[in-house]
Parts: sequence; C-alpha cells; structure tokens
Amino acid sequence: MAAEQAAARKRDRRILIMMIAAFVIVVVVGGIAFQAWRTSRAPSAAPSAAASASPVTITNGRPIPLGSADAPVTITLYEDFHCPHCADFEEQFRPIITKAQEAGTVRVELYPMAFIDEGSLTAANAMACAAEAGFGQAYYLGLFANHTLQWSDPQLIDLAAKVAGTPSEEFRTCVTRRAHDDWVTSINAAADTNGVDQTPTMLINGKNVDIATLTPESLQTMINGASQK
Amino acid sequence: MSSTIVAEPRLAAAASWVSTGARLILGTVFLVAGGLKVIDPQSSVTAVRAYRLLPDSVATIVGWGQPFLEIALGLLLIAGVATRVVAAACAVLLMLFIAAVISAAARGLSIDCGCFGGGGDVAPGQTAYGIEIVRDVGLLLLALWLVWHPRSRLALDRFVGGAPASRGQQ
Repeated sequence: MAAEQAAARKRDRRILIMMIAAFVIVVVVGGIAFQAWRTSRAPSAAPSAAASASPVTITNGRPIPLGSADAPVTITLYEDFHCPHCADFEEQFRPIITKAQEAGTVRVELYPMAFIDEGSLTAANAMACAAEAGFGQAYYLGLFANHTLQWSDPQLIDLAAKVAGTPSEEFRTCVTRRAHDDWVTSINAAADTNGVDQTPTMLINGKNVDIATLTPESLQTMINGASQK
Repeated sequence: MSSTIVAEPRLAAAASWVSTGARLILGTVFLVAGGLKVIDPQSSVTAVRAYRLLPDSVATIVGWGQPFLEIALGLLLIAGVATRVVAAACAVLLMLFIAAVISAAARGLSIDCGCFGGGGDVAPGQTAYGIEIVRDVGLLLLALWLVWHPRSRLALDRFVGGAPASRGQQ
C-alpha cells in the first residue's frame, strides 16, 4: 500500500515537472516570437518636428548639422541609434535641445556612430540619406522614438514616410544601397580620432559635458550660459 | 527527497520559513530582473552582445528569450511549485551569469552586466563587476539553499502531489 502510494507520488511528481518544463518552454518560445514581432513591426511613433531644414551635404568625417547655421551654441552629439543609454539620453534631454534648436539658439552636430549592431549601421546610413533629403531632424527624432526596432530597410523607408510623407525614389535607393556606408565608417573613425570612446557623448561649444550628472535643468543652464558668451 | 533537518521539529519549521523567505526574495528578484529587460528587447540584445561571448544571431535569441525565462522562473518560485527543480534551474542560470561577468572582467571589457535592464558598454571607470558578482553569489546561495531544503511554507508544493514529503506525512 505504502509502496503504491510512493509510486503514485513519484509519477505525479514526474508529470508536474514535465508540465513545468512545458510551461517554461512555452513562455520562452512565445516570448522570443513576441520580441521578434516587436522589433520587426512598422515604426509607430512619428514625432512632429518643425524641421523643414534645408538639405545637407554629407561629407566624409563631418557630422550632420541640424538647426540654424548661425546659432550661437553648438551641441556636438556622438550617438548610436541602437545604444540604450542614447535612447535614455534622448528621452530625458531631447525636449530641451529641440526647443533650443527651434529658437535658433542651438545647432546640433550629429555624429551617428555605428558599433552596436547591423541596425546601428543601417540607421546611421538612413539618417544621412534623410538629412540629404532635407528631413534630417524629424527622422532623427523618429529613429530614437522607435529605437526598439531592428531597422530593416522597409522599416527605415516606412519611418521616412511617417515623418516626412512619401519618400523620394532617391531616398529609397540611398537606404537600400547603403549609399553612405563609407561616410558612417568615416564618422566612426572621426569619433575615434576625437577620443570619443562611449555613446552618448555630448560637447557644448567644444567642451565635454558629464552626462552622468546632467539634469534637464543643468543642461538648460549650460545652454543659456553658452549662448550669452 | 528526505531532508537532513527533520530530527528537530522546531528547526525544521524554522528552516521551512527560511526557505519561504529565500523563495520569495529569489523569485521577486528574477521577476523584476526579467520584467525590466522584457520591455526593451533592443537593449536586452545589446546587453548580451556586450559580453562578446555569443555570435550575433544567438545573442539576439538569448536577449529576447532570457527575460521571459527569468519571469517564468520567478513566478514559479513565488508560487512555490516544484521548488527544488526550479531553484536548481535558477542556480544554473546564476552560475552562468557569474561566469559571464567574471569573463567580461577578465577580458578587460568595460560593460554593465545588464542584469536589471540597461547593459552594454560603459566607460572604463564605470564598471561594477565586484558588486555584480557579490550580488549574484548571494542569490546563488539562496538558490542552493532551496535545492537543499525545498520544503517551505506558503507554497503550492504543499497541495500538489509532486511536493517533497510535507511534515504531516512523515
């Protein structure tokens, strides 16, 4: 009798463990499928940007200028579109920087580095294409607003359509042919030359800013201070 | 399945409550760690890649799947189902984490462990390998305690046939 009970208990136990293993496998496999879907879906957020910026010429080793050319303050930004800390940085400080750009106080010089993954590279290339086409600012905001996407070509083209209307054939080709691959490489090299070893890195009028201790208020103060000099 | 602390009923009761605490702490930590990572799959993949141990495609799968594994194990621990097996799985996972952090430190990488979201490369002075390893070793001890003494109070194991013998059945 006791032996039978023990055998039944053992069997129950085996079934329970199999059920748990099945539960864990379903959760993990389902989770992987869910994340695959999340990163490959179409971009959703399309922040509006008063960025009818004039088209920009892409020059090897030179950053993308965003904002008025005669703004008194230059903010130099080294970012990778797939770097998590950059996305945090953008979320926290972007409103202040955008406001200052729109007020004509700040001009951003963007070095879109690409070292994290394939998506960093395709996004940096597309960013250059967008700046060339004259909607760099809006595209920039869109890339960070959708930073969880993996940035396949269709996603990058879709994003352009969302922030700036149906993109030109030229833009599409620029994205799919990776027209600015060499430029992205040159930006990585330039960052290296400038001693930048992490993203995000920010300089205000050429002076390095410690982002770890930065607050929206202190950034505003720094911009104000720099614009009065 | 017999535990070694049954000789003294009071000790056994106390040990069961210790196990309850261990289950809840470890389960909550796993649940929170998984939850913080699951919201941002891109960061999670970046965090895994930063260790430079896995090929990119594998790192992507791990970055997507691992947070869900942590959530599942956390939930099972908190519920107290098949505690010994689940705790053993947690122990194995924690040993892998510890080994990965040690290997990152040994190779001179400057990364954040990405244990609770975030992760990726950081400036050379900003690593916290020591604290990360100590924390993981502490959690590993909790997991090993549960493998050794899985019986606990407030656990579903008490109601399911699969439980290790409960006190009343000795």
